[in-house]
Amino acid sequence: MNLLSQTFLLLKKDLVIELRRRESLLTMFFFGTLLLFVFHFSFDLVPERVAEMTPALLWLAFLFTGTLGLAQLFEAERGNHCLEALLLSPMDRGALFLAKTAFNFILMFLVEIVVIPLFWILFNLRSWDVIPYLFLVTLLGTVGFCVLGTLLSVVTLKARARELLLPLILFPLMIPVILGTIRCMETILRVGELGDALPWLRLLIGFDVIFLTVGVLIFDWVIEV
Amino acid sequence: MHLTVRHLAKAYGLRWALKDIGFDLPAGEVVALLGPNGAGKTTLLKLLAGLLSPTAGEIVFDGSNFGRSLTAQRSAIGFLTPGEHLYENLTVRENLIFFISLYNKGGAIAQIDATLDEVGLKHHSEEYVAALSSGMKCRLSIAKWKLLEPALLLLDEPYGVLDGNGVDLLESFLRGRRHEGSIVIIASHHVARVVNLCTRALILHQGSLTFDEARQQPWEGFTRAFGEFLPHGES
Repeated sequence: MNLLSQTFLLLKKDLVIELRRRESLLTMFFFGTLLLFVFHFSFDLVPERVAEMTPALLWLAFLFTGTLGLAQLFEAERGNHCLEALLLSPMDRGALFLAKTAFNFILMFLVEIVVIPLFWILFNLRSWDVIPYLFLVTLLGTVGFCVLGTLLSVVTLKARARELLLPLILFPLMIPVILGTIRCMETILRVGELGDALPWLRLLIGFDVIFLTVGVLIFDWVIEV
Repeated sequence: MHLTVRHLAKAYGLRWALKDIGFDLPAGEVVALLGPNGAGKTTLLKLLAGLLSPTAGEIVFDGSNFGRSLTAQRSAIGFLTPGEHLYENLTVRENLIFFISLYNKGGAIAQIDATLDEVGLKHHSEEYVAALSSGMKCRLSIAKWKLLEPALLLLDEPYGVLDGNGVDLLESFLRGRRHEGSIVIIASHHVARVVNLCTRALILHQGSLTFDEARQQPWEGFTRAFGEFLPHGES
């Protein structure tokens, strides 16, 4: 079995378990939409401040919901020492990293598909034509979040206060992704097209590629720590 | 198949769980790994399984040094811990298919029904593992390793949750593995049972190997070591 088929096997197992438990997706979905309503009642988004505030508010929602998802990422493996069973098997450990990253990405993107249009509706925004560009930026930012999040989620797996420790380590390291996505979205919302946001997009793509490669290469070592 | 352990040691922080362990096991050996609680039995099994890295020493598996990253070696090692290493939210059949695929032994999928029949789980194949009793989970673990056919099989307290039939099933499985040339290492407190089955016994005491001898009739060395190193409750 090669890396990709092992990744697919592990991802399929995680998706089947999630479909049965429905814990992570439902929690993330309700938390994400709840945050939007809190923002809606807290902020008056005047048209002049849309470009400035929308990306930050959206990414606050994604960061918090994503962290909830990361905290549950290895939940299926915690019972019955299943992580041990995986480590005992001859699979490439990079496949476990890729599968967990892909699983978290799928959950986050499902939430984002609902949250972004809902944000536009709640704040009565008119610029629906930029939504596809925003999805592209969100997709790249989410990949970066999931890649780094999965890596750090494993590092904190055995820690006692992991729910507290994970965001404390993750958020500072996420600054390039947060900055890149927010600046990218801001530019798109101001200008209405992707062109001026290209430098930030390149930063996001670079971050994703570098950390995805590093993750596959070092995961074997990280999971042993 | 040949397993050699040389000067193996493991420390957790400042505490040595295992000190200078060494033994040599040829194919077909069934080893009783005995010792009181905290003697280091599970640590030794986890080191042999590649789940822990040794602090010192080496494990040589079929002539090559055992490294935790060597996937070919990992596919030859089985670790049976009753009721563990199974996904609760997958069915019995899904668990077996998942692990067979992970071990790249696709041919074994066709034998799932027959194996489940042998371990008495034929009518539970579509049930979630979470719904099974501890004994049934242990039977499922036996089915899993029957299908995966490891060359080195490690067992940690396998008798605890099994009923009489389950124990017979386990022992017939272990005899089968021995005839196939596998090395079987059983850590247990059920001394009488495991000594009946073994071809060799190792006794650990406070992290050191205090006894290593092939089975003999009569086995006076074992009787002496048993009295000296094992708690009186173990029989």
